[in-house]
Amino acid sequence: MASPVSMPNSNALDAHIPTTPRDIKDMELLSDVCLLAGEDRIIDKDIIYICPFNGAVKGKVLITNYRLYFKSSDPDVSVTLDVPLGAISRVEKMGGASSRGENSYGLDITCKDMRNLRFALKQEGHSRRDIFEILFRYAFPLSHGMQLFAYLTQEKHEENGWSVYKPIEEFRRQGLPNNKWRITFINKGYDLCDTYPTVLAVPYKSKEEDLKRVAAFRSRARIPVLSWIHRENQAVIVRCSQPLVGMSGKRNKDDERYLDLIREANDTPKLTIYDARPNVNAVANKATGGGYEGDEYQNAELIFLDIQNIHVMRESLKKLKDIVYPNVEDSHWLSSLESTHWLEHIKLVLSGAIQVADKVTSGNSVVVHCSDGWDRTAQLTSLAMLMLDSHYRTLRGFQVLIEKEWISFGHKFASRIGHGDKNHADQDRSPIFVQFIDCVWQMTKQFPTAFEFNERLLLTILDHLYSCRFGTFLYNCESARDQHEVRLKTVSLWSLVNSKIDMYLNPFYTPESGRVLYPVASMRHLELWVTYYIRWNPRIRQQQQSPVEQRYKELLALRDEYLKKLEELQLSDSPSSHLANSSTPNTSSSTASTPPQQYTRLHTPF
Amino acid sequence: MQGISSEELLMFFKGERMLSQSSMNARSRDVYGLRCLPGECVLQRAVMVRKKLTAREGRGWLSGTLFCTHFRVAFVPQDGPKPDDNADPMLLADHDVALASIEKVVVVGPNRTKLVTPNSSLKFTPEELVLYCRDMRVICFLFDRLTPDAQVIEMTYTIAKTYQPLKPGSVLSFQNAALGSVEMKQFLSNRRRDTHMNWFESSSDWEQELERCGASGWRVSTVNDRFEMSTSLPRFLVVPQKVLDTELKKSFAHFNEGRIPRWCWRHPRGSDLLRMASFQNNIYHEKDDIRNLEMILFGCQSSLCVVVELGEELPSPADIQLAHSRLRALCLGDISTSVSVPDDKWLSTLESTHWIDYTRSCLRKASEVACLLRGGHLTVALQEVEDRDMSCMVSSLVQVMCDPYFRTQHGFQSLVQKEWVIAGHRFYSRINCHRDNDKEEAPVFLLFLDCVWQLWSQYPSRFQMTDDFLLALHDSIHLPLFSTFLANCQRERCKRSQNHGQCYTPVNGWIDMLHPDSSSDASDPPLPPVWDWALQYSKQRQDRFTQPVPPTPPLQPLLNGNLNTNPDAIRLTDTIPGSVFLLSRGTFSCPSNLLPWRSSSSGIYKKTHRRAPSSENVPGLDRLLKLWALTEFPQSLPSSCGPQGPLDPYEPLLPLLMGPCMGLWRECYLRGALHAQAFSHPISANHPHPVERLAQEVQQLKDKLSQMSTSTDPNLSTKKSEPRRIDTNLNQNTNNGTFLFPAPRTQGMGVPRAAPPPTSRGPPPATAPPSRPRHKDSGGSSKHTFLFGHSSVADSRSEQRYYPTPSNSKLPKGTSSLTS
Repeated sequence: MASPVSMPNSNALDAHIPTTPRDIKDMELLSDVCLLAGEDRIIDKDIIYICPFNGAVKGKVLITNYRLYFKSSDPDVSVTLDVPLGAISRVEKMGGASSRGENSYGLDITCKDMRNLRFALKQEGHSRRDIFEILFRYAFPLSHGMQLFAYLTQEKHEENGWSVYKPIEEFRRQGLPNNKWRITFINKGYDLCDTYPTVLAVPYKSKEEDLKRVAAFRSRARIPVLSWIHRENQAVIVRCSQPLVGMSGKRNKDDERYLDLIREANDTPKLTIYDARPNVNAVANKATGGGYEGDEYQNAELIFLDIQNIHVMRESLKKLKDIVYPNVEDSHWLSSLESTHWLEHIKLVLSGAIQVADKVTSGNSVVVHCSDGWDRTAQLTSLAMLMLDSHYRTLRGFQVLIEKEWISFGHKFASRIGHGDKNHADQDRSPIFVQFIDCVWQMTKQFPTAFEFNERLLLTILDHLYSCRFGTFLYNCESARDQHEVRLKTVSLWSLVNSKIDMYLNPFYTPESGRVLYPVASMRHLELWVTYYIRWNPRIRQQQQSPVEQRYKELLALRDEYLKKLEELQLSDSPSSHLANSSTPNTSSSTASTPPQQYTRLHTPF
Repeated sequence: MQGISSEELLMFFKGERMLSQSSMNARSRDVYGLRCLPGECVLQRAVMVRKKLTAREGRGWLSGTLFCTHFRVAFVPQDGPKPDDNADPMLLADHDVALASIEKVVVVGPNRTKLVTPNSSLKFTPEELVLYCRDMRVICFLFDRLTPDAQVIEMTYTIAKTYQPLKPGSVLSFQNAALGSVEMKQFLSNRRRDTHMNWFESSSDWEQELERCGASGWRVSTVNDRFEMSTSLPRFLVVPQKVLDTELKKSFAHFNEGRIPRWCWRHPRGSDLLRMASFQNNIYHEKDDIRNLEMILFGCQSSLCVVVELGEELPSPADIQLAHSRLRALCLGDISTSVSVPDDKWLSTLESTHWIDYTRSCLRKASEVACLLRGGHLTVALQEVEDRDMSCMVSSLVQVMCDPYFRTQHGFQSLVQKEWVIAGHRFYSRINCHRDNDKEEAPVFLLFLDCVWQLWSQYPSRFQMTDDFLLALHDSIHLPLFSTFLANCQRERCKRSQNHGQCYTPVNGWIDMLHPDSSSDASDPPLPPVWDWALQYSKQRQDRFTQPVPPTPPLQPLLNGNLNTNPDAIRLTDTIPGSVFLLSRGTFSCPSNLLPWRSSSSGIYKKTHRRAPSSENVPGLDRLLKLWALTEFPQSLPSSCGPQGPLDPYEPLLPLLMGPCMGLWRECYLRGALHAQAFSHPISANHPHPVERLAQEVQQLKDKLSQMSTSTDPNLSTKKSEPRRIDTNLNQNTNNGTFLFPAPRTQGMGVPRAAPPPTSRGPPPATAPPSRPRHKDSGGSSKHTFLFGHSSVADSRSEQRYYPTPSNSKLPKGTSSLTS
């Protein structure tokens, strides 16, 4: 079956690697790689992979313009690596000409997806130089004036993922526009705010000039706009960036009036402003011209949610990687885990979102912002919406949520991930979106029947967050995407997903509209997402099989078998002879032989 | 006749609080909607109370009426089903708490909380009543504004005064409150034992187990029938056939407490698992003794014995006690003192309890032993100084890992009987429910349940029992009502039950032989075994103890313990016959003092036995253990094909012991932790899990199918007991917990290792109905013989008990004639 290093979720990467007989000849070793349309072989070479779990493994490496593929030639150790070049964050040479130790001369590759790869090469010839240069060029195409693979791929899918999210349709689904909220196209040419989408929902009573004046007082002109409205109580979630209060404590009447319009829209007695940052950070931001809403905002209360900034999150995940890769810190696992603070950050994000959702449920409109309103704000609004609105818990609804709150509202994917960029130490990089997906995973763990999609979807999303195979997560904002014609020239990740929907469905999904999900945001109940963060460790594999899902498949097979038997029984005219043979003793063999092919039918309602 | 006379109660509680008193002739009475036990008095009642439901119960609130009797705090939901007056009395309904399980009573008032003790006085009217229980439940009742203040205050006082923090003597009055009435005594003495499990109380029970395991070469010895050889060992011991009783008798002196090596279990590949206490060193070894000792120790394997020392790497009882008390403090976090651990220190504090470390070390040791046994044809003897704590732990964990039968509910119950109850784990002292021996207290058995839970959570589909069952067992430990847990060894249990008719006890006429001196008072109520679940759990809740559609145990017949397909075994047979090795800290050694009679100080051995024990390791042994270490890298082990590959049912379930793979049993330790539910909303309360719905559908189809088959095929009428099981499942599926199971391959499920001949007319499969099957009718008629034992006893019992699909030639002596 699968080799130890290519994980079961490598099918999330949609790579079809057929298994091969072990004694295959060296030449043929790489012939079975199934390349994507538009993917070109660049180089292949004999190489030694220094596997942290199996030791040095001889084999062959293939580099294409999309992936790094390694297959062991040793029949005893079957190791396959299939890494999209987009997942590579750093390539370094290790050892010099004078290196003496065995396998001390080669390449050291750091990946964005929680693993590192080391290869050893022969010192003779220029084998390392060639491969290093090729890797460096193709892993960081933007740094070399080349195109991202998303622009080169020729793959075709039945579905067009770019049509998943249409802002107007989504607003209409929410019941907008109505007599309190209107849709404005003021940002049509990205003139008002270059990091916002073109279509915005704003209070009905606000005039276009008001919006412009408010934009002048909000960081990067990211004015408060509606993200979500509660159907019954008309309470809204509004998102924006920090006000430009500055050291002198500037005021802006228009901004104050504008927030009051938001409050008035559903007669909320007090508008709640959630500032995602810790109080001290908000104060510190005054020095750079930012700040937070002060007492001058009447009928509003300000609550700080204590979520740390992108740098803290980056360091936290780095620490987590240190304790899980390659080896799991075993002796003091729990306190090591605690010292990364990763789960604590997850908890703060979740509990912030819970507060937002709870406020909205009780009929109060809320405004959410952090500094620029594209990192923590996106986490909070999207998670709160996931708790409040069961539509976002469906497979397509979740895509809409990501398209809307993350992609269209300008989460800086390009800067946070560093697609195709060689500058691995860029301080703008941060796993904010990974953290969001982790929060979603925590919710699916606590409410296993509430989500239409499964864990595989989350893993796929995170894999292609880095892979650069799809246009979905490229660039920082809509204006940049328009400029680079992403929708025209690249494929959407949702094209892949929606063409193979069965793979991503949760068989246990029980639709329940109108129910608010409040996860328990306590360290006592949060868990580390082992199957993502430690998935490269072959020991973890065993648990990846979801026993519940397997059980479900088996039951489906059993049901079909029983149905068939019943049919046979009802048809049979000579019951005594027939039954004596078929019913009991044969059950075992026929059950075993019934393939669980009925799995695909599992979303038939019953 | 009642344990607490009503006069006493009247004196203790003011007369007006005595709302009712049972009449003597009613079996149970309905008082204000509460079904009272015979003799049970309602002391206080509060209306318009809401109970907070845990996540498992569906979350949210349930309104109803709260009662306090002198046995329990009962909660009767408003819209609950009407009690059935003809039903058997049940000690606790779904929402009740026994007073003896309550550890602390806390009330929450406006802006304040208060710990209530029998002497406290309240200065405010509580809004909330929180009961902290010994079993780590936290039960929370909310009073309505419409609840009369007097009722709220009186209820609080009554519970505080009645719940009796356990102390010497208080347990007895609690037992009397529950079981002391004439009617209850009568009722209990007419209860029949669950015949689907092996109680290991009679010699035929042991023979049945030998047969089940295909262990030849062993016999059941009755030398300890009167507990004269060893007071803590059971009456029946399994020893090598070739050792005569007279020889056997001489060996007791060589072991601590006389706990000689005894057979526990045989691995299908032919290895035997033994357990024993440490050697008595200051004893002279006669030549004959040595021969006998070696024979006993080597059992049926002539070549190789591995002694596994259980002292060093495993937690001591004191360690376990400390870890558990830390875990309790951490998980319960008391709102009255607000000392709960801050959330950001939760993980490191949890780690510093060492509880998870201890489960890991037990599982690791058991994994090592399981891998040794897998090697085939050797004897593994577990040795512990007293052989009453960690031997129980390791031997039973090994069997859960290796034997699918012990992963069924009845199999597991049998295992607990075999390795804990009968083997003499000191439940009474370790649980210390009488609070008379704090030094000995240690929840070894709870640690064992946690280990089993770890296995279950890693391999849920390989268990027929569920975590609900483990939870029920966990909670029952804290209820001082069961004979199972209220004695330290079989001898003590026998002494006690001899005073009370013969309930639950098979009669072989041995009672008369016991010394008639009795320390226990004849008026003590008879105690039921914990396995009589109907006393505590409703049918619906019991149904959740097992998977809706259970897995199929392996069907290959056992080849007399010689299912030896393991290539590794071959290497081991090369060793010099009579080699003994010590396994300690993961390595094998051969210290000269391992067997005292072989050590240099005892000269006789060397003279008579020429061969010196090899001091080198047997390479094969190391390899066996290495295989285990490698299973953590599954691909390196050819025999494990991953979860999707064909499952060799005898491949042990080896747990992953890495930090991230070991979990906390949240459903047990964090039940009702109040903060956890602050934001909870019911999501699945009304919806059964899709797997359950499907399982239900499959069960219905199966039901239909078997009905059609039975109606049309006379040959299959013997399978009639099957539909019964199906009925029960239909009920259970409506709100089941979790469920996971590989699809059953056939309809029978509980027959562990032997394939039932399809047309067998023998007794129906043991596991078929947890509900009492129809053939119970015959059991009823034989009840009298059962109780007052005569010569016909064996006959009637053989009808009740299930023998694993007797292929007639292989029945143990004495029973073969009965079944035919």
